[in-house]
Amino acid sequence: MTNRPETLKEKITKVITPRKLRFFKESLTGYLFVAPALTLIFMFGIFPVGFALYVSLHKWRILRTDFIGLDNYVRAIGNFTYVLAFFSALAAILGAVLILKKIIQQANENSQRPWVLCLSAGLYTLTIYAFLRYIWYQLPEFLDIALKLRGVEKTRELFLQFLGESFYAPAVYSSWRFFTLVLAGSVAASLAALILYRKPLRAQFQTQFTLMWIALSLGIGLFLFTYQQVFNAYLIALETNSDPGIWPQVIVVSAGIILLGLGWFAWSSAPKADQAWKFWIRILGAFIFLVGGWILVGEIPVLMATGDKDLWEGLKVTIFFSAGTVPFQLTIAMFLAILLFQKLRGSEFFRMVFFLPYVTPFIASAAIFRQIFANRDTAPVNLLIRGLGGEGLAWLQESKGVNLIIGEMIGVDLPAWAAGPSLALVVVIIHAIWTYVGYNTVIYLAGLGNIPAELNDAAEIDGASKWDVFRFITFPLLSPTTYFLSLIAVIGTFKAFATLWVFREGLALGTTDTFSVAIFLEFFDKLRYGYASAMAFVLFAIILGLTLINNRFQGSKVFFM
Amino acid sequence: MKLNRSRTLTILTYTLLILGALLSLVPFVWMISTSLKTIGEALGSSFFPSELHFENYTEAWDRANFSQYFLNSIKITAISLVGSVSISVLAAYGFARIKFPGRELIFGILLSTMMIPAMVTIIPNFLTVTWLGRIGPIKWINNWPALTVPFMGSVFNIFLLRQFFAQIPDELFDAARIDGSGHLRFLFQIVLPLSKAPLMVILVLTFIGSWNSLAWPLLVTNTPDWRPISVGMMNFVTEAGQEIHYIMAGAFITIIPILILYFFTQKQFTESIARSGLKG
Repeated sequence: MTNRPETLKEKITKVITPRKLRFFKESLTGYLFVAPALTLIFMFGIFPVGFALYVSLHKWRILRTDFIGLDNYVRAIGNFTYVLAFFSALAAILGAVLILKKIIQQANENSQRPWVLCLSAGLYTLTIYAFLRYIWYQLPEFLDIALKLRGVEKTRELFLQFLGESFYAPAVYSSWRFFTLVLAGSVAASLAALILYRKPLRAQFQTQFTLMWIALSLGIGLFLFTYQQVFNAYLIALETNSDPGIWPQVIVVSAGIILLGLGWFAWSSAPKADQAWKFWIRILGAFIFLVGGWILVGEIPVLMATGDKDLWEGLKVTIFFSAGTVPFQLTIAMFLAILLFQKLRGSEFFRMVFFLPYVTPFIASAAIFRQIFANRDTAPVNLLIRGLGGEGLAWLQESKGVNLIIGEMIGVDLPAWAAGPSLALVVVIIHAIWTYVGYNTVIYLAGLGNIPAELNDAAEIDGASKWDVFRFITFPLLSPTTYFLSLIAVIGTFKAFATLWVFREGLALGTTDTFSVAIFLEFFDKLRYGYASAMAFVLFAIILGLTLINNRFQGSKVFFM
Repeated sequence: MKLNRSRTLTILTYTLLILGALLSLVPFVWMISTSLKTIGEALGSSFFPSELHFENYTEAWDRANFSQYFLNSIKITAISLVGSVSISVLAAYGFARIKFPGRELIFGILLSTMMIPAMVTIIPNFLTVTWLGRIGPIKWINNWPALTVPFMGSVFNIFLLRQFFAQIPDELFDAARIDGSGHLRFLFQIVLPLSKAPLMVILVLTFIGSWNSLAWPLLVTNTPDWRPISVGMMNFVTEAGQEIHYIMAGAFITIIPILILYFFTQKQFTESIARSGLKG
């Protein structure tokens, strides 16, 4: 240490080195490059999710009216909503605990005591909530401008006047003031942390603490909110003398889910037991938990029975659509890919032909399929069937289940529950298979190209037959591709809209209305924005669930190269 | 004996491939043949027309008002392409070659938005677009902004381009740096000329996407002024009813531009699809 005091310039250059300056400039360039895309994606891809949640909590037919809490969800999936909400709250709290555990572990590893950062992180969380609260008050004011403009001449000046007023509504103004106050506090806290806590990992600890606070407050908030919602529903049920069995139902199903979780936990921990009898005790316990859990979870259909029939019908159609499309299109595609992979002459040509349906505009190809599968006796498919000695079918206009039709042909009476997808849906399935086989073939071809040729050669030298090579080399090594494609395809069937809309027009009596189509109808025809948003979130939850299950499955079962 | 067996196998393979190709192509062949028939023949049972009625095409073109819808679709595609490509190229370059704090996190968030089903965002976006039309200087509903702007920030395009940009060797950039060029100049003078293949793929995908989009255009257009060909064709299918020779002519007219584009870019296109699919 020298005794000469540092000049200001020296101090500055010590803090802002040329290297830091370059880093700062580079970062700024980076943010500028991605800013336009981020703005647009935020505005039309991320913000709408929050907005849709907001819409789904309201009674909203073209225009927003009352805040009705979870009622739209209850209408969609019945009292099961409450169970789901409780468990989401539980998951959030659990997440907070896990983050805390990780922080403690890291703090011990680096022998740091970052607990004071917990305070600044709490302030950051508060800032986020203050901002959301401001949005919560501001958004309706913005939206109401449209209401105020109804019936009067719409001039720009008037609009701007209303816009200006919307910032100064009492609730908006006070929430904005509160937000700016907390924001200032946050900035001060982060500066204080910068000065007082001069150790590595500061930023990381602060992020983790903030995440912990968010998860914790979200969990507790959701828990209280759901509790209040169930309580209100319970009171209303008591007053109107309808069955007030909400609490017992919710508790029974929750207990069932917890038992299932315990059973799974006991099952997966069994192999870790050090003695045989402990192993068997755990397996036994797991079975008891699982059986009990399944019995209690069996209440779910009762809970959901109060939900929306159209939605369940839509879900059923979607599942038929998925189950009818995905396995066939993947099997055919894998088969074609293996044939093409032999590099025969003309395989380029075949690949192009197979890919053609995929690039054809869906609306045009659906229009063609509508005519090929028309109900006329002279439509191509009916001509073919009659040529083979059968009778023409109504195809797209047939709402009867395909199993019933086959049953009639061979003279078997099937019960109504075994009807299967309607014949109209079968046409939609055939069209989907026809469209996507080429796409899947191309990706399977790329997957085949990744399998090392030495493996096949070695197997052939060892005298393996073609079937053996397929069974023990090709098929297992293609499994990552298969998992990827099946996930994409299943999610695709849940999202599919355009073709179904074309097939639907004037035909099929609603037996081809999948979940997505049901949502669109609710929104476009019935103009129930709030309810349609709630349905869309149910769809989102299903897609998320499928992706998570798939990821879990993929982690343990798929062979990766 | 061995040779004989492999020959039968080859013949079997070809038979199956030709069968597959036939199944893929028959709907197209039937479409073309029906589009050239008279109404009687079209509803009748013969596969081929006795005379070729090419006038069906002009008739379908006029009745479906295709000149308007074609122009609309081409305008919409062009505007989305210009917007989307310029925005995605910048963002993809930022994510691939510039280091800034939070880069991976932001990119991860962007990728995860691809999982959000359109049905969740369609309602709020409709409300947003209506609202924007009221405050902005131009209207959004029934006009190009509603049809193009929400799709300009395409995560898929950014992803595709980023994969490509990340493969460009660092030495090129270092050399350019020594010559005194910054990021923008490097992007325009070196990276873009190298990226013709992914840009071509984006061109084709945007084209196909705008030919396929139905739900959103149905919502934000209610006059023919800006309606794209997808909605036009959809309306024609319901209006023409039993006159299937016109419907088939219309379907073929809708397909032709995509077909031409596909034949020219076929090889690059399928290969890029395969690559992006595997890495997805």
